Amino acid sequence: MLRFSRWPLSVWLVLLLVPASRVGAQDSEAVEQSRFERWRERVYTSGTVELEWGVETRDGHGQKFELQILPEIEVELSSEIDLTLIPRLRADGLDRLEPGSPSHPALSETSRHAHIGDRVELELRELYIETELGDTYLTIGKQQVVWGKADGLKVLDVINPQDFREFILDDFEDSRIPLWTVNVEIPIGDLTLQLLWIPDQTYHNLAGPGAAYEITSVFPALPPGATVIRNEIDRPRRVIGDSDIGARLSAFWKGWDVTLNYFYFYEDIPVVFRTISAGPTITLSPKYKRSQLVGGTFSNAFGSLTLRGELGYLFNRFHTVDDVTDLDGVVETDEFAYVLGFDWFGFSDTLLSAQLFQNILTADPSGLLRDRVETNVSFLARRNFRNETIVTEMLWVHNLNDGDGFLRPKVAYELRDNVNVWCGLDLFYGTRNGLFGQFNERDRVLIGVEWGF
Amino acid sequence: MKFSVRERWVMFFLMGAILIPGISRLAQADASDWPTGDEIVAEVNARDDGEYVTRKLTMEMIDRRGKKRVRETFGYRRYYGEEKRTVIFFLSPSSIKDTGFLTYDYPDADTDDDQWLYLPAARKVRRISSSDRGDYFLGTDLSYEDMKKEGKFSLEDYTHKTIGEEEVDGHRCYIVEGTPVDEATMKELGYGKVQTWIDPEIWMSRKSEFWDVRMNPLKTLRTTDIRQVDGIWTAHRLEVKNHKTGHSTIFTFADVDYTTEVDDDVFTERALVRGVRGN
Repeated sequence: MLRFSRWPLSVWLVLLLVPASRVGAQDSEAVEQSRFERWRERVYTSGTVELEWGVETRDGHGQKFELQILPEIEVELSSEIDLTLIPRLRADGLDRLEPGSPSHPALSETSRHAHIGDRVELELRELYIETELGDTYLTIGKQQVVWGKADGLKVLDVINPQDFREFILDDFEDSRIPLWTVNVEIPIGDLTLQLLWIPDQTYHNLAGPGAAYEITSVFPALPPGATVIRNEIDRPRRVIGDSDIGARLSAFWKGWDVTLNYFYFYEDIPVVFRTISAGPTITLSPKYKRSQLVGGTFSNAFGSLTLRGELGYLFNRFHTVDDVTDLDGVVETDEFAYVLGFDWFGFSDTLLSAQLFQNILTADPSGLLRDRVETNVSFLARRNFRNETIVTEMLWVHNLNDGDGFLRPKVAYELRDNVNVWCGLDLFYGTRNGLFGQFNERDRVLIGVEWGF
Repeated sequence: MKFSVRERWVMFFLMGAILIPGISRLAQADASDWPTGDEIVAEVNARDDGEYVTRKLTMEMIDRRGKKRVRETFGYRRYYGEEKRTVIFFLSPSSIKDTGFLTYDYPDADTDDDQWLYLPAARKVRRISSSDRGDYFLGTDLSYEDMKKEGKFSLEDYTHKTIGEEEVDGHRCYIVEGTPVDEATMKELGYGKVQTWIDPEIWMSRKSEFWDVRMNPLKTLRTTDIRQVDGIWTAHRLEVKNHKTGHSTIFTFADVDYTTEVDDDVFTERALVRGVRGN
């Protein structure tokens, strides 16, 4: 079955038909040829084709056998305006990451994917124009905006929601969900002010029931025998009134890269309000809620060491409590989070990196499902060999509260200029109650190949 | 007329007594005519290489089996007094397309350079250490320091002396030997010594030989296709052969332009993220 949402389809049609109609209107073949040549000179194409095979080590069952085609087309519409188009076709022969044809309810109508059967999906990843008005730089359209300095763990990189179909194992470039955004960058002396307006009500995409990486550890267990009523998600729908806005001020000051950030946004995971009535009957009413983020980043290099960090203060966050006497099953507190990262380049062709990530609730209500202070650490060792044709790395992420985490050893080889192959392992450890430990049985070996064009 | 053996020996010594001091004096005169290492270095470093430049750079990397990888880049460089700012954007292959590398090179030797790397896969600008200057630049056979100096000499890192003269590609060149000032610098740079053949007509290098820290031959760099662009002598081809690994890199410069002013905004983080169009 072929299902296209209207917006992407209309975009495709416009892009395909407008140039064709213009060319078709010309009488002279020579003029047509000349126009075609001029167009061709202003169009730049590139892209990648990636094939990755994942097998679970526990039982040898395949987890993914995925082909991804990601072309990138850049067009100089005029000397002042550039257009970028990045569609994505993804086909998975095993259909275990997102079984069936999920409707992706967390995505807005304009961002949903088109499905061809259960195993092939087509998505408009990015479509934006870039132009300059004086010194002001404008990027308008579906795009990714990345804030922050941390790797793998996020404090400020929250502008775009994330697709968790592979938990956090997929590259952020692939798992970040681009949003329709007006992105304005204004130089003010040595500072740069970035303003964002995001009239796109798209949120995190969580793997659905039965998926390989369905997240279960963060939700409370329901009492046996209770009747459970699950209401539809109450999601924001007003394009203007429910849009997100953000601002970032960046500077390079005495060797330091610093930013100040502000973001007014809807949380990307709905708050699940719970009521208990006679029966007992439990009614779950998920609803997206507003929050505000104030924060900043910094980085500098000192000899062989690079220091980088992020700080963020989040207002009015909701957390689930496992307390039947609580009226709605959630509590509201502010939250402070930071990450400190150290990169050491002391050995030749080698990067050693360590990060400390902490998330602290400003209040300590009883019955919280999580600890008041959550601490994660990560370590990365990467070394290049043979003129950077071979890259080996080991990433270790560990949660100090639950004692769970994961290890990711990987070897990549640049077989040719435009062909890369790799082999790696994703190894989880810990208990089922931990964010990482819940995937203890999802350990996998991966092999992949990417061809660039 | 016939001479006895004894007479022949006497004549040989007499001729030797007359000629050898003359030859020796001639040799001393030539050597003393050579400019000192410091004088040559000063000439090379004073050579005009433009206040700003825009250029394409193609890097062909060839391993010992002949397998070739090609990187196409577009770059800008501009001087701000003695401070030099350089940015390189990768255009191909697609796996590293849009990667950007920005450097602020400060004249004060005690101030570390500032360097940023934009990785499109992460969509983040990453601050990187400039202390690993002996590391090879993005898989090529030149180090970060070699790339930064662009054929000029470092007075802080080496002492220089002139050790001879020789023709390279038909051009008479002085041979300048650079020796690291101390062991720490030697280890940091990865070179035990460097000999450079400088053409005094244009004060540019036509050839360099590098030795590793154990004084084994390491690399040979040959600079060819040197011609004037906008009145400035410009090398268009650098060929580096690593004798230890058998790997080599050919750097080819094209579309070199010293006349179009490079905007300050090019050397910023926001420009690093935006990149450049295909050029």
